[in-house]
Amino acid sequence: MSKKRTLIEVIVLLLSGLVLYFFTSHDAFLYKQDIGQVIKVANAKPVQTEDAYENKDETTEQSLTLKIINGSRKGQTIHLKNQFSKSGAYDQEYFKGQQVFLKLHHDGGKLTAVISHYKRDTYLIMMLWLVVGLLYLTMHTKGLRALLSVAINFVIFLIFVQMDVDFDFTNFFWLFAISAVLFTGLSLILVIGWNKQTLVSFLSIIIGTTMAMAIGIGILNLTGNNGIHYEALDYATQQPEQLFLSATVIGLLGAVLDASTDIVSTLFELKRTQPKISAKQLFKSGQGVGHAIMGPLINVLLMIFFAETFAIAVLYFRTGNTYGYTFAWAMGLGVAQALISGIGITLVIPTASFLCSRFLSGRRAD
Amino acid sequence: MPSILALTIVLAVLMMIFGGKQGTSSFFSVLLNFGILFVTVILISSGFPPLLVSLFAGICILATTIYMGNNDDRSTNIAFEATIIVLVVMIIMIVPMDHWAQIKGFSTEQSDEIEAFNLLIGINFEKLAISTAILSTLGAISEAAIAISSGLQEIIDQNPDITKKKLYQSGSNIGSQIMGMTFNTLFFGMFGSDLALFVLLAKVHAGIGYCINAKIFVSECMLVLYSAVAVICVIVITTFLMARRLEKQQKAAAKAKKQESN
Repeated sequence: MSKKRTLIEVIVLLLSGLVLYFFTSHDAFLYKQDIGQVIKVANAKPVQTEDAYENKDETTEQSLTLKIINGSRKGQTIHLKNQFSKSGAYDQEYFKGQQVFLKLHHDGGKLTAVISHYKRDTYLIMMLWLVVGLLYLTMHTKGLRALLSVAINFVIFLIFVQMDVDFDFTNFFWLFAISAVLFTGLSLILVIGWNKQTLVSFLSIIIGTTMAMAIGIGILNLTGNNGIHYEALDYATQQPEQLFLSATVIGLLGAVLDASTDIVSTLFELKRTQPKISAKQLFKSGQGVGHAIMGPLINVLLMIFFAETFAIAVLYFRTGNTYGYTFAWAMGLGVAQALISGIGITLVIPTASFLCSRFLSGRRAD
Repeated sequence: MPSILALTIVLAVLMMIFGGKQGTSSFFSVLLNFGILFVTVILISSGFPPLLVSLFAGICILATTIYMGNNDDRSTNIAFEATIIVLVVMIIMIVPMDHWAQIKGFSTEQSDEIEAFNLLIGINFEKLAISTAILSTLGAISEAAIAISSGLQEIIDQNPDITKKKLYQSGSNIGSQIMGMTFNTLFFGMFGSDLALFVLLAKVHAGIGYCINAKIFVSECMLVLYSAVAVICVIVITTFLMARRLEKQQKAAAKAKKQESN
């Protein structure tokens, strides 16, 4: 790869970024909902507040003048008030130049509006551009293939979610369990290819995941869901226990997929370089790979599930709740999910090692 | 017995059976990280500056994850160095990005959950969102850093005279495999933890135009995208650091040889 070509690639990427930024900050015409741009801001004096737990805060009222920049009312200006707090848990301060979605209504012949939400598409698209750009620069087409597998899985995921909503199954857990099997197969075929290695990985993932879910559900039932508050599940619109289990199965899958492909690809490589290796040695080497990745992988999931609970946990603590109560209601489900996933990661290590050693012993890997 | 305790015990037993000695120390690293995260939330809630607390907690978590359960100093030191650099890069990226995108606090979709609370609690939710974003990337970067540094160390051990260019080539090969799988882990982790949200959005017929601007959807996507950038950075930086050290060692070895022949 010549330096000159890399330089040209970087310049093209940067230019495309600029074009994308310009486009997404001027894409109001694509939306049906009215969008306003803040053209004037006047802040009132902040008001000090204090609640029953001696939390001091500040709220400020601002008068905003907005110009509508799309739709049939393009060019009209409207005035509205917005209140924001210093902490900003559920509100935000607006500045000149920002764009917001509006809900317009007529009040005695006069046009008024409330802000429905802030326009964030520019930033989301710019981050996406950054990821694609970095992937291309560092890994070229191989990196983009990884992204493709994620994109395809995302589309399938959305189709399954839509199916769940449309058909409203009573046992919708099975719907997501099937989707998990599909995700596994597709990711493996896209990343590894259509071969024996994929087959062995697929089997070990399915066995590992099933065992982990069976153990997880078994323990939850044996202990009578003691201390588990399914009703604390965010955004639950369906039976929360099943929703939790469906979420766990999908979350667990990624990590199990990661662990098992690491083991299986190492063992296949080993067999290729040392065709006479014994089944026992293969099993041992598989365990060795597994031991090294087990801890870090469980930590990845712990971080993902735990970090999500930060905001709500702080809210619980600041309003006088105890550690135990906060743990049970704000963090319990995330921790349970991470634990079941950990069990899955641990179980897939012997499963993948055993299946590989059976499959590869006496046979040639190709 | 509380279900969470039972699950923890089963996980510990399984990790000890199937993970041996390393399994035990891995289990304690997970436990320790949980403890660090819990203390972090408590410290932030009691009014300590969120960013500083998270930076400190982040370094502790990286050290725990990398050094506990991995014994090869040659690869762990480089992995730790690389993750610290990426931690700094992430802070520089996330602080302005979170401010521009305004993805702090709670969203409309969460209103049921928080309506019982008084929200004026005097904690800066923007800084809290930044802390969340930084901490959630740590698991993925430490895993990738360890995987790539131990992989490259293995290659150097097999072939100590490998050229810098070849090492970069290997780094890119191993890196792309790790990246593919880490992306899957991250995305499935996200689909998994946000399944209920996706179902809700589908139920209210939220269109794509709403989603890509909604606080909750954008903030969840941003978390995954930040992690993706962090993983790419950590792979590049780890490979670079390994190559730099290899070059130094090869030069030192060549010098020693020269002196010997003199």
